[in-house]
Amino acid sequence: MWGIFLESVVIFKNYMGFHENGYLAGIYLFVLLYLWLTEKDKRRRAIFVYAPTLLLLMFFCPLFRKIFVRLLEDSETYYRLLWLLQMSIVSAYGMMKLCGRHRRIGLAVVCVAIAACGNYVYDSEHITRAENVYHLPQEAIDIVDLIEPEEGRITALVPADLIYYIRQYSTNIELPYGREMLIARWDYHHAMYEAMEKADVIETETFAELARQYPCAYVILKEDRKTDKPLTECGYTLYDQVGDYLIYKDMETDDAI
Amino acid sequence: MVQLFGLLLWLVIIPIGIGLIPVHFVSADKRKPGIVLLAGYFGMWAVFELVTIPAVIFVKYDNFKVASNCFMVLAILCAAAGIWLAYRDRKEWKLISPVVCVREMSWAERIEWLLFFALLGFQLYKAAAYASFDGDDAYYVVESLIAQQADVMYRILPYTGRPTDLDVRHVLAVFPMWVAYVAVKSDIHATIVSHLIMPMVLIPLSYLVYYEVGKLLFCRSTEKNHPENLPIFMIVMAMFQIFGNVSIYTNETFFLTRTWQGKAVAGSLVIPALFWLFLLIHDGTAKKRADMGLWILFVCINMTAGVCSSIAVFLVCILMAVTAFCLAIVERDYKIILKMAAVCIPNVLYMMIYVIMGYSYLLK
Repeated sequence: MWGIFLESVVIFKNYMGFHENGYLAGIYLFVLLYLWLTEKDKRRRAIFVYAPTLLLLMFFCPLFRKIFVRLLEDSETYYRLLWLLQMSIVSAYGMMKLCGRHRRIGLAVVCVAIAACGNYVYDSEHITRAENVYHLPQEAIDIVDLIEPEEGRITALVPADLIYYIRQYSTNIELPYGREMLIARWDYHHAMYEAMEKADVIETETFAELARQYPCAYVILKEDRKTDKPLTECGYTLYDQVGDYLIYKDMETDDAI
Repeated sequence: MVQLFGLLLWLVIIPIGIGLIPVHFVSADKRKPGIVLLAGYFGMWAVFELVTIPAVIFVKYDNFKVASNCFMVLAILCAAAGIWLAYRDRKEWKLISPVVCVREMSWAERIEWLLFFALLGFQLYKAAAYASFDGDDAYYVVESLIAQQADVMYRILPYTGRPTDLDVRHVLAVFPMWVAYVAVKSDIHATIVSHLIMPMVLIPLSYLVYYEVGKLLFCRSTEKNHPENLPIFMIVMAMFQIFGNVSIYTNETFFLTRTWQGKAVAGSLVIPALFWLFLLIHDGTAKKRADMGLWILFVCINMTAGVCSSIAVFLVCILMAVTAFCLAIVERDYKIILKMAAVCIPNVLYMMIYVIMGYSYLLK
């Protein structure tokens, strides 16, 4: 039980971003304490003070966590219980109450405190300027436009960095493996993925043999991907190039399924 | 033009029409455009859930086409009924023009509202001009696209395109199918609807919930009013969303980086909406009989949790139980627990389907 409790503490710390000096939770806990001491309206006390406190206690309760995880068969989403605290609503309400009549100076102080304790969401490395209305990399779209059949579907083998995007643009392109291979903790094994991504140098003969099992009408490789002999010697032709990606067409495989 | 009409119809007109039904059962002083729109969206998603889940489970081929046709008919009927109800009791409506509201404000309040709208506009601009990468899109967005392009729900593995069995963790949360429905009706690619259109709808909708919460906290008629605090509350809420990215797990991070995913909607729209209703029902002005519409709305919000994510159903049940328990103690009215339990019945049914589907292999 103590171990489960400690796990919950770690989840709480990770959620609140303590390891990255995010102290927004500090504001929330301070406001919660302040509301404990000052909130007179009994209904608001129930909604903004008692319920969040009870939820926090439940979050750290090992028995509750055991039941939650057993019911959902998923321990990775336990942190979502903290969404029920609605930190922003409770904190904003408490801060407004704390500022009282000093509204404007209070607003300035609160905004500075939030900016100082929080983390600017648009600084995230995952947010980049959109290249098109799909919000997908333009290279993925250009590649699909080149290989997509007019009718039916084809299978294509693409490098890991395109896997997320290809089927977001067109579901007429099928893949031998998908995103599941890229999540290490899911621990999947796939021979084609091993041959495509894990080998330092692609063994072209085996690789081509595997790719034809699906059958992959196109193979897309990064320009700098090393192969022990060119794909063109194994029945492929260089169909086109998009940015850093070389598109090979398998001349032994029919186009659409 | 057709695309714009499709969006206008399914993202504005139909939700407003549907919202007029629960609002009809709410006392006249609570009937406001904001409540209508929110009730409309939650009502629409509840109807969508009712139609789509049976189609997912029982229809194998073209299940999206079946579900979307049934939903279209039902939604139009509901919207028409709502409009008819609103027309019938049109004399009870007391709408105040926004111009009058602005005129009554002090200059300071106007500037504060402008500041809030600047922050909201900034978030919308970022949502439109910047792409946010999330690996889960390879599942959810592709599910929407498969439904749009192949008329199939949850029978094709989004990652590869191969046929698959129903995956209980995802099939009951039909939010991607609603995105697909909007995409089909507006004839816009589902990925564009997800990444571009949905943030333009869901971000303002979430702020509408925060606005309604703020109004109950600062503009109540039963105590000394502090309506001048409302714009400041909204600014603080917007600041929290923009700077709430203390980790990848917070609902604020989900709100602005994965807006179009059901779980983000659950965290930033559904759960705050429950707070709104807790306050609305227990703000001391609720007229027991006249406010049946609020309980209908409670049911719709609970059902929307199921549309968004299976886990959200468990979460809202926990929130409802804990808050009902606390309210029952402070109010010394234990009927609240029964009422809150009653509005959770759809969630219980949802969980039963989840468990039956999840453990059906044991029966074979």
